[in-house]
Amino acid sequence: MREKTGRVLVAVAAATLLLGFVVACEKKSEGGGGAPAASGAPIVVGSTLSLSGAFAATGAIHKIAGEAFVDRLNAEGGLLGRPVRWVVRDDESDQAKVSMLYEQLISQDKVDLIIGPYATPNILSAMAVAARHKYVLPQHTAVLAPLLTYECQFPGWSIGSTPNEFVPNQLLDAVASLSTPPKRIAIVTNQNGSTDFVSYGAGDNKVGAVSITRQRGLELVLEKRYPPNFSDWASLATQVRDARPDLLINNGLGVDPVNLLQAMAQLNYKPPMMFSLFPAPGPPLGLGPKADGLMSVSIFEPNKATLDRLGAKATAVVNDFKARATTAKLPYTVFETQAAASWNAWEILVAGVKGAGKIDHQAICDSLHSNGADTTFSGHLAFDASKHNFWPPTQTIKQIQNGDWVTVWPKDRAAGELRGPAA
Amino acid sequence: MSTIQAALSGILLGGLYALMAAGLSVTWGVLRVINLAHFGLMLVGAYLTFELASAWHINPLWTLVVTVPAMFVLGGALQLAFDALRISELNSLLLTFGLLIIIVQSVSNIWSADFQRMTAAVNPYATESVRLGRFVFPVPTLFAFAVAILIIGCAHLVLRRTFAGRALRAYAEDRAVAGAFGVDHRRVGVLLAATSGGSAAVAGMLFSLGSSLTPATAYEWFGTVFAVVILGGVGHLLGTLSAGLLVGLLSGVVSVVLSPATAPFVLFSLIVLALLLRPRGLFAARTAR
Amino acid sequence: MTRRGLIGIPLAVALLAALSLYRETIGFPLFYLGLLTTMLFWVTQATSWNILSGYSGYFSFGQAAYVGVGAYTTAVLFGRHGVNFYLTILVAAALCAVLGLAMGALAFRLRALRGEIFALLTLAVPFILAALARINPAIDGGQGIIVSIPEYPEGIGLFQDYLYLATLLVAGAAVFAAYAIRQSRFGWALSAIHDAEDVAEGLGVATFRYKLQALVASAVIGGVGGSIFALQIGFVAVDSVFQLTVPLFVIVMSVLGGRTHWIGPVIGVVFVVLVQDRLTASGLGRWQLIALGAILAALVVVAPDGIYARLKARPLLAAAVAVPITAVVWLVAQPLDGMLAGLLAATAIALWPARRRPPPSVDRGVVDTDRSPIRVDKSSSDGEEAVVECRGVTKYFGGVRALEGVDFTIREGEIVGLVGPNGSGKTTLVSLLAGSLRPTRGTIRIAGQDLAHLPAHRVAHAGVARTYQIPRPFASMTVRDNVAMAVMFGRSPLPLGTARREAQRPLDVVGLGALADAYPSALNLHQRQLLEMARALAADPKVLLLDEALAGLNPAEIDNAVQVVRRVHASGVSIVIVEHLLRVVKALATRIVVLDQGSCLADGDPTEVLADPAVVRAYLGRRAHARDS
Repeated sequence: MREKTGRVLVAVAAATLLLGFVVACEKKSEGGGGAPAASGAPIVVGSTLSLSGAFAATGAIHKIAGEAFVDRLNAEGGLLGRPVRWVVRDDESDQAKVSMLYEQLISQDKVDLIIGPYATPNILSAMAVAARHKYVLPQHTAVLAPLLTYECQFPGWSIGSTPNEFVPNQLLDAVASLSTPPKRIAIVTNQNGSTDFVSYGAGDNKVGAVSITRQRGLELVLEKRYPPNFSDWASLATQVRDARPDLLINNGLGVDPVNLLQAMAQLNYKPPMMFSLFPAPGPPLGLGPKADGLMSVSIFEPNKATLDRLGAKATAVVNDFKARATTAKLPYTVFETQAAASWNAWEILVAGVKGAGKIDHQAICDSLHSNGADTTFSGHLAFDASKHNFWPPTQTIKQIQNGDWVTVWPKDRAAGELRGPAA
Repeated sequence: MSTIQAALSGILLGGLYALMAAGLSVTWGVLRVINLAHFGLMLVGAYLTFELASAWHINPLWTLVVTVPAMFVLGGALQLAFDALRISELNSLLLTFGLLIIIVQSVSNIWSADFQRMTAAVNPYATESVRLGRFVFPVPTLFAFAVAILIIGCAHLVLRRTFAGRALRAYAEDRAVAGAFGVDHRRVGVLLAATSGGSAAVAGMLFSLGSSLTPATAYEWFGTVFAVVILGGVGHLLGTLSAGLLVGLLSGVVSVVLSPATAPFVLFSLIVLALLLRPRGLFAARTAR
Repeated sequence: MTRRGLIGIPLAVALLAALSLYRETIGFPLFYLGLLTTMLFWVTQATSWNILSGYSGYFSFGQAAYVGVGAYTTAVLFGRHGVNFYLTILVAAALCAVLGLAMGALAFRLRALRGEIFALLTLAVPFILAALARINPAIDGGQGIIVSIPEYPEGIGLFQDYLYLATLLVAGAAVFAAYAIRQSRFGWALSAIHDAEDVAEGLGVATFRYKLQALVASAVIGGVGGSIFALQIGFVAVDSVFQLTVPLFVIVMSVLGGRTHWIGPVIGVVFVVLVQDRLTASGLGRWQLIALGAILAALVVVAPDGIYARLKARPLLAAAVAVPITAVVWLVAQPLDGMLAGLLAATAIALWPARRRPPPSVDRGVVDTDRSPIRVDKSSSDGEEAVVECRGVTKYFGGVRALEGVDFTIREGEIVGLVGPNGSGKTTLVSLLAGSLRPTRGTIRIAGQDLAHLPAHRVAHAGVARTYQIPRPFASMTVRDNVAMAVMFGRSPLPLGTARREAQRPLDVVGLGALADAYPSALNLHQRQLLEMARALAADPKVLLLDEALAGLNPAEIDNAVQVVRRVHASGVSIVIVEHLLRVVKALATRIVVLDQGSCLADGDPTEVLADPAVVRAYLGRRAHARDS
């Protein structure tokens, strides 16, 4: 009897829950746009972001940056005199869902413009849909240039058309400027697509950190690949320690460098110099002095010197982002590479539409190819279709100095001096 | 030298794997509940440790005072529900998968999907280690190793030596016979599940000492933890402990000798072999469960 | 059995295809096509899973292995090396077949394979394959592979139309395969494996072969689905295909829909994908997974057999409620909202707790004792030929000795009583004779044929049938079908229709004819034991092993059972009866064999053997002693 009552209760609960969804679905929200300062029917921009799942951490940054951008744009009079509304769907970090949702946005919701999702596999899926519909696709973060073949795809972050050559060379150039340049190099690589690419190249192009290190006559003392979701950092740390490198290159993602630094610290070891490719920016700072001197790549860091050079608007954007990120309880609230790439992508979209003077994707695409785009954080961008629109890189090397990320290389864009191994 | 150090660190890390797997293994073997929500409890335990330690600036070890009772109650409550609803072994897997989805998404809604970790100021253990001659023992995994041996050892003794423990094991083998012991197996079962929940809190705390947290971490544990449960033999606590240490040792050594990328291949091939040759677990050679 | 599926599935496929082919004419939005494509991908996968795991009960967590192998095959061959796309589908199917064969050959050879061990084995496979792909970056170049659009006939329209039609074709074929399997011997064999595997084997079902076939069918369908999936995602990397979420979602969908019927997974897929889509569209992203988890948990509790089984119970009411709700919401909001609302309403109706109907009443008096034996076997005139011959049969379990050097012969026309104290090795001997155990040493011959290398189902064909101490009917089949299974899979295989007619004879012999259409759950213990006998008899055995077939019966039932055994014997079957009740053994047996501690203690005429002081001491004495303590 008790069992039956239980089942009735559960059934009632389930039925209520299910009907609740119907109601919720019917009250379909009309999207999250701000109050239009401009007049007329809004221009609708559609995109997905990974708001849940494996990519959600960075997805959140792009959501906040995008919202900040759209609010600012509307406050400044909108686009073509019309307000802009951004519809963002959660793709749950699922590639198959990305294609479907972009299809939904373009053919069912008939959005006027689209902007890319986050993370390379998702961007590639979205690009396929955009190419089918001939929609212009500005995207924040895909840097695997050889794969991004659609001519109306515009990157908001560029490491050039050959990141596998650019990144290692830039890094090795930077450390070569030190008084005692490193000679023994260790390279440990996450087998994720983009990090593996920088170490080993792709397809027939086998150039990467590994080959460049050898080619420059440096000694490669350790070379290991580890799978994503790797957990046995202690063993890798031991190998690094015993290889005694002058520079440890960790072409890794997320918290890889933190895990590695921590595992090495447990061995009472810290490599004289260390570089990590795409780390989550916040967690290494949490390690305190143990992470001091860690280098990485960046397209923008809100260092005072840099902001002073860029002017008041950049400062306002950075502060606005920080306030919004704090409200959203993000653990790391600084406007840096990811957010700047997001901002670039939005500015490319707006520049294209303004250049075309109408919502016509071919015209927007053509305008971007011929006129380029002006951005707050990366200056003027020119797009060359033969290089898959990857503009000449403005990427820099940053370094943790006294608990903060500081741009240190190249010298003309640096906000601080590159520091060599601690004595 | 590298190999020996990696083997030692691997064994210590294996203690954490064993602790994570023990609760899952024992509720599966004895209560016939494949509790995927256990991963959720560990995740919540880890996040609570992070939250309490960061907010109150207390030693993360002290957070156990809060998290263990909380997870104890939660684990017991879940078992009560499974009992009341008469969930079969298979359905328990599906039901708890539903619960795990809910827990992971709730954690994401509360703490964001971004990486969270205790700062060096709050958690001094992350980078500490004990040095013994030429070898180094990292403190977070050393804790995990010691705690795993302590908890699993005690639980083993309780299950072997006490009347309630024997009643439970009888229940695991034959539900009809269990009645003969005159013990309310339901009540003892709830106690067991609650204890397993408590162990999840401890495992979560130990994990958070040495690692960054994201909600997706719960799914990342699946492979290794199930490997340990299977290799150890479902329901065998000492087997689980040995399997945990073995898995840690193996992935450490394979990482050094071959490559870290090879470790999962070796590990899961070993599981297939173990299942084929020793379906009851590597360390359950003669004793029927 | 209805043949609705035979027409229904091609019709549904044709209708769905028309949505794309005449998309512009009827104004069918492209987005719906995308949604349907997603659904059809999952239909393929869930159906693939269901053929093995739903039908036979062996749960697999390895679905991602097939998706991964399929997608990788197409991505590497077509995407990287420009091999013809359609050829890559065939290669994917072949590779998955090999994978399935390998998995099955390894797993199903295990004597003591339990469901959970199989589940965990399959869980490890995608991990191994993913690791393999990572160790050899040469496979995908290290970064993953872009899969471009293959050439397709121009008349089809856009790429989405092509993708949709391809996915539809695969999904349709998968569902049709699942339907066809369900209707065939194959499906019946899988159901029997699901209900009671070793019983099925003992009745002559080649369980190993059928399980292996199911696994291979499942792998091939999953692989072909994965192949098309590579086109759908357009970029294939290890993480995008070897995901744990694939098996988990497949299981969720199949279980929600109902896993014993071919249409169950389809319903589950429609339900889950619609709910997910509507939640996403309504901007409740943060709550989407929480809602999905809650739905899963609630449904597992309320309807563990799946929605379909419950819908079937009240289809009219469900339709009557669902249709107007769909219509209203469709008009007010979007069509998809309408469909979801309708589906949810139908589900709610289906799940509303039914008043427990009393089990169909069964007339206790149906056991008809007056029926005379149907026929007498022609060969029974020569009653001296040995049917069963055991020589030096020895069986150890680990270090424990169960039987030691037992010699034992049964001649045609005999009823041999096998007695002995508990643990003397009676049931072990029965299992050895039935082929479900193998002797450590010694030989067993049935009608001159050595059992040493025969699998259990071939032993059944050689002429041995057994009953179980605790009756183990196939719970999902009627009494008639339980018996028909033994005919269907007997020495000379028969189709289901004939087997059902043939089943009447053994049912009449045991007196269960009137209960033929009841389900086993409606039978009492005695009737179940009679069903065991009828099932064994239906296999047309030379020797029938009755393992305590009378345990737990009341005196009247025992008398009836004795009559039934006599009738069976009269029909020309030799019988070995294991029994504690000496009254019964004395009444029935033409000879008695006494086992004690694994050895043969006495063998001969019932009255003489039971008077033997050694037997009295070993057997009766101990029993008497045991009763005192």
